[in-house]
Amino acid sequence: MMYFRRSVFIALFWYLHSIVKSSLSIAGSCFATLPYLLRIGESRKEVTDGYPDPISSKTADDLPPRSRGLLFNDIERCTGCGDCEHVCPAGCIEVASEPGAHDSRIWVSVFDVDFSRCVFCGLCVDICQPMSLVHTRQYEGAAYQLEDLVASFGRGQVTEEQREKWHLARQRLSAPQEGA
Amino acid sequence: MNWVFLWLRALGFSATVPGIPLIALACISLFVILPSCALIAYLDRKLSADLQARVGPCRTGYRGMLQPVADCVKLLQKNSMHSQTLGELLWMLLHTMALYASLAAIPLGSLAMMVDTQMSVFIPFWSALVLALGTMLLGLGQYTTPGWLGGIRTAAQSLAGTFPSLIGILCVGMHAGSFRWSALAASQGFLHWTMFAHPFLLLAFVVFVGGGLVLLAIAPLDGGLAMSDIHGGVAVHVTGRQLALFQFGRFYGFFIWSVMTVVLFMGAWRIPESLRSWFLALDAEVCISVVELTWLLLKTYVLMLFILWIARANPRARVDQITDFSWGVLGPLALVALVGTAFWTMV
Ligand code: SF4
Ligand code: SF4
Repeated sequence: MMYFRRSVFIALFWYLHSIVKSSLSIAGSCFATLPYLLRIGESRKEVTDGYPDPISSKTADDLPPRSRGLLFNDIERCTGCGDCEHVCPAGCIEVASEPGAHDSRIWVSVFDVDFSRCVFCGLCVDICQPMSLVHTRQYEGAAYQLEDLVASFGRGQVTEEQREKWHLARQRLSAPQEGA
Repeated sequence: MNWVFLWLRALGFSATVPGIPLIALACISLFVILPSCALIAYLDRKLSADLQARVGPCRTGYRGMLQPVADCVKLLQKNSMHSQTLGELLWMLLHTMALYASLAAIPLGSLAMMVDTQMSVFIPFWSALVLALGTMLLGLGQYTTPGWLGGIRTAAQSLAGTFPSLIGILCVGMHAGSFRWSALAASQGFLHWTMFAHPFLLLAFVVFVGGGLVLLAIAPLDGGLAMSDIHGGVAVHVTGRQLALFQFGRFYGFFIWSVMTVVLFMGAWRIPESLRSWFLALDAEVCISVVELTWLLLKTYVLMLFILWIARANPRARVDQITDFSWGVLGPLALVALVGTAFWTMV
């Protein structure tokens, strides 16, 4: 008897119960949106902003203070540590560096950001120690070719002649010191 | 077809213009289907923006009213990115077929009907099936993972949705005693709707609408075209003009299903009897067809907006939940409605 009740009637009860419960939940979320449609109350205003362009008469200055635009790297300050390259979830930063004019200096030869893959998460900016990598206020980056979306901030490969010059300059700088 | 004659006479032409069926089809698609498509597309975007505390279209025309036109012009300018495969060509053919085969059988009023047979109801139903088949073939013909998955999902969904909605139709047929549009309308009145005749028919109404949403993969139950997990499914590689045609076909399915629901369950095009006889006394048959069409379309739009409201306020159901829902909930309920209607009709 017990088994019979559990198997059929209780199963049927739970079946109908779940139907009623989900119908109520659907109706609940429908009615939850009604105040937004009818604009009741203070918090029901639109939460989105117009696109900044002449039609909405907004400019880049009207963007929210923490908005994240296209990236810019001040290569003078960048140490080429590659932290941003490692942290980027989209894998769109490519950093390569080599010894610079002094042994203590680093020459960042390649710093490419592929904006076709960037999701503007801001992780790279957060992790950058010398704060050379920043978000600009620029938000329009459309291009006709995919390759045009790669922004290069690197100084380029050091040529052999340049290296030779540095070498000579270093020798000239260190020679008088030895003599004195 | 006599409504074309009516209009021709009212506009001062003789009724012997050749190609009347073609004129009629062109009129229906140009003056009923296309404006409805634009209107519902606009209202959907604007109202769902309101529901979700967004702004919605606001650039094109007053409050973005010309947005559907702008969308359409934009899509028509675009070329397809890929060359067409055989599967896509087949889909195009089926799609166009489904779109225009059932135009002649759409019930838009007592005078505005071109074809009314014993099996009227099943002609748009068939076209919904062809639409599902076309969508499935389009997905399978794309040779991409999202397209292929979308195709499989569309097949599963349309299979699951057909069964309950077909039984929903049978309930109404049993109640009205016929599947003719005219007989179905005659069994209802201005406010005397089939869905309120008895509880089992109300159940059949719910089952029919739900089954249609599953069958045609419309908004809350569109697993075959889900954006989040399969990147839009079948639609992912459809671009430009093809996308315009694809979206229009999907809207057409939604529209025709809503018109069917209104005619089957929600009082068809019936206007108050006194109004009708008043127009007849004035010999203003054109007015009758206009008023009937307006009333029918009004109810259709309200139904569509109601469905879109549910769709925009709730998260999209997963594809296995959709088929589960269709087989496990709508199916049994459809059978209950069928048995109940049978007993009610006998008693
Ligand atoms: S941008 Fe910052 S994090 Fe990236 S390599 Fe340069 S210093 Fe390191
Ligand atoms: S913003 Fe995010 S995705 Fe873009 S480059 Fe930085 S870490 Fe990568």
